[in-house]
Amino acid sequence: MIKFEHVCKRYEDGHEALNDVSFSLSRGEMAFLTGHSGAGKSTLLKLIMLMERSSKGNIFVGEQNLSKIPKRQIPYFRRHVGVVFQNHRLLYDRSVFDNVALPLEISGMNHRDIGRRVRAALDKVGLLSKEKLTPIQISGGEQQRVGIARAVVNKPPLLLADEPTGNLDPTLSAEIMTLFSEFCQVGVTVLIASHDLALIHHMHYPVIQLNKGQIVDTPFKERGGDANV
Amino acid sequence: MSDPSRSAGAQTAQKPNAAKNYFKHHSNVAKSTFSSQLNKPISSFFTCAVIGIALVLPCLLMLILTSIQSVSQNWDGSAQITLLLHKDISASDAGILANEIGKKQSINTSRFIDKDIALNSFKENFEFADAIDFLDENPLPHVIIVSPNDAIKTIQHIEQLKNSLLTNSEIDSALLDVMWVQRLNSITLVLERAIWVIASMLALSVILVLGNTIRLAIESRKEEIIVVKLVGGTDNFVRRPFLYMGTFFGLGGSILAWILIQIVIYLLNQPVQELATSYQSNFSLSGMNFESTLFLLLLGISLGWFGSWIAVKKHLSDIEPD
Repeated sequence: MIKFEHVCKRYEDGHEALNDVSFSLSRGEMAFLTGHSGAGKSTLLKLIMLMERSSKGNIFVGEQNLSKIPKRQIPYFRRHVGVVFQNHRLLYDRSVFDNVALPLEISGMNHRDIGRRVRAALDKVGLLSKEKLTPIQISGGEQQRVGIARAVVNKPPLLLADEPTGNLDPTLSAEIMTLFSEFCQVGVTVLIASHDLALIHHMHYPVIQLNKGQIVDTPFKERGGDANV
Repeated sequence: MSDPSRSAGAQTAQKPNAAKNYFKHHSNVAKSTFSSQLNKPISSFFTCAVIGIALVLPCLLMLILTSIQSVSQNWDGSAQITLLLHKDISASDAGILANEIGKKQSINTSRFIDKDIALNSFKENFEFADAIDFLDENPLPHVIIVSPNDAIKTIQHIEQLKNSLLTNSEIDSALLDVMWVQRLNSITLVLERAIWVIASMLALSVILVLGNTIRLAIESRKEEIIVVKLVGGTDNFVRRPFLYMGTFFGLGGSILAWILIQIVIYLLNQPVQELATSYQSNFSLSGMNFESTLFLLLLGISLGWFGSWIAVKKHLSDIEPD
């Protein structure tokens, strides 16, 4: 589902965020991405959702080589990648329902289907009763779950999360992680960037560890460049 | 939640409705944009007022111009050509010539004035005419006054008629009493050019004002734009509410301009008519008819759309998620 082949990312100011990164992740697999802040976790996620372009190497998502996707096609590509952000990135002037409905509205779905899908997603994250509230009226953990509902409402085959438990207490964090593993079980590929090592070790999922832009010892490293994606 | 067969089925069922959904989405965006503008009545009104006032001046000048043009078009056949004959033409020859000219199709009437009769009536009408007695001979030529057929309405045609009459060897020269129409035409030409200059400058200012308003709107919705881009919104999707916003401002501005124009016409018409009456004219300013109203509305809408399009093009690409 995701394959990195000797990917480098150097910013214009000369900072090298990723250096020769290779790994692959199969369909329906879930993995953690760890490392100190500045190790390149966010950059790696940004490359996958085309917020940045790699300086060298190839990135494949599904069958697509990301460097071959022209700028105007990026929106259509992003509709197949669900993303959960650390700071939620919710719109505070709209209801929970409207926040979750946004990706469906963008893809031009009709009103009835939107209602059905949004409620299914909210039900999944346990917030069906709060659809009419605005994000300000609900707790941080609930806001994060709204963010997750929005990420999965389009039924994307790939789900990315950037520090999804960053501001949450351990119980809430565990709940959120369980939610992710449930998506993985129904066939969604999940990649979670996190530095919550205790939680990660508890979850028994593969870990890609980044240090100064390079992958350090991981079961994924040997599989890098593997044609069997 | 993610059953592949179900999601594929949902997508194929969606396709026939794509156009319907698209228009539904447009109407939703239009509605929500309009209501968000109504929620800020004062600032929306000011934006519309700026646009409206900018539209009033050129439209008002245009109306005055049309009124003037209708005056110069309806000179009511009051134009006459005065033909001055050569001195050596006798009165009887001149009478025959007047008859011949009168038979032409393009001529309504032709009247011969004998130079002696003309001199006498001159003496009767003017006190200082005694001075004429000191002259050896009658300085006046025989004159034929020609009024053209009703079918001849434009200056060009009457000029043509004059020139064709001048080819006659017995006619020395011809005076055409339509100078005022020509002058009026030149003035309206100048006015027309001036209106275009003023109108283009004001149109530019409308675009700039709108551009600034839209820029502020884009700034205030920056976070929303970023989120929309992150979850796969195309540039068109992001652009749409702002284009509607500009279009509505333009529409509001032109409606306001229409009202202002009607008020100004109402205020001006009485003094204008008094002035016209003193010149024995029934000239009056015409108000907005259906066509000029439609033109004004379309002008406002297209300026609004264009102004916001420029602003959106310039500023939206600056906002990318980081």
